[in-house]
Amino acid sequence: MDQLITEPKTLSNDEIFGVLNQFITEVIGEEFVDEMDITPDSSFTKDLEMDSIEIVAFSEKVKIYFGENINFTGWLSNMDLDEIISLKLSDIINYIRLCQ
Amino acid sequence: MPVIDVHRIKLHIQELNPDGEETIILIHGMFSNLAVYYFNIAPMLAENFRVILYDMRGHGMSEKVNEGYDLASMTDDLYALMEELKVDKTHLVGYSYGGLVALKMAIRYPEKIDKLVVIEGPDPNEQETLTIIDTYSKEFLIHYVNNFADTTKMQMGKRQLERNHRMYEFLFNETTIRSDMESEKDFFQQKPLSQLTHETLLIYGEHSNCVPSGNTLASKIADANLVLVPGDHNVPIQQPETIGSQLLLFFNKNVDLDICDANLLVVKQSA
Repeated sequence: MDQLITEPKTLSNDEIFGVLNQFITEVIGEEFVDEMDITPDSSFTKDLEMDSIEIVAFSEKVKIYFGENINFTGWLSNMDLDEIISLKLSDIINYIRLCQ
Repeated sequence: MPVIDVHRIKLHIQELNPDGEETIILIHGMFSNLAVYYFNIAPMLAENFRVILYDMRGHGMSEKVNEGYDLASMTDDLYALMEELKVDKTHLVGYSYGGLVALKMAIRYPEKIDKLVVIEGPDPNEQETLTIIDTYSKEFLIHYVNNFADTTKMQMGKRQLERNHRMYEFLFNETTIRSDMESEKDFFQQKPLSQLTHETLLIYGEHSNCVPSGNTLASKIADANLVLVPGDHNVPIQQPETIGSQLLLFFNKNVDLDICDANLLVVKQSA
């Protein structure tokens, strides 16, 4: 299976970034990731060129890994389209840190 | 990613608030996927309802299949999905071609469907989509993205352009989607449509070229109400809050709606 199955503990920013980085790789495919420089400053739509169905797949992985107390979809649903478009990896890392 | 097997085809589904008393199933349009509802409309509905979204065959993260894009096959899939998820009866919302799937479902299985919503359902007799299929090229896609990107705020870099191009090439060249859609061209003229008894809401964008299709449906379905909202055919992406509010109002009469201005409906949940 392509899911990480490790039980999550309280993770540091770097550790969360590592997990999210792997999820992005799984969603968009390694051949594309090789050409990208993924950093916490990467934005989902502009830099990583993820479309909405890829963000759905990514959200799914976040939900499974970090558990139900991180309501990632609910958090996203409070944003309008412009906010989702400008969303950066660091925003998600901060959100997960807050929920932990 | 949650997938279920229907007729040996794997369909990608998402379910919100599985314990909700009543169920709403949301059907996306042709060449689209469940993400059209996932971020705004579905979470709004999920506060009160069990909400099920799925990618149609050949679309989104569902299995790529070569045939079965006609309304009978599409509703076979939906029926099997309901069986699999143990949904006896559901409200149904369909956007664009998904609206036609919703209508067909209510015609074939009237007892399984409660209320019905069609958003921007096109008269398949117009066959505009077929012209696009016949003349499709990568250049067309680039032209479309460059000229219509602001109505949907769609941003497409090289990888997305390639991904979309591959999807269109697959659907147009390797599947029966064209002939399947063409075979439905008389759907609005068929008798069963005018025999529907479901309470039906028709939502169209006031600047959409599909408005005449909405008028046709309103004249044929006995218990139908047509609502025009700001926007064009892409209205669920342009006005998700308005669409979500309209749906809540239609499905749940206990929700108070504050109409702030003509363009914006704000939902207030009654205690």
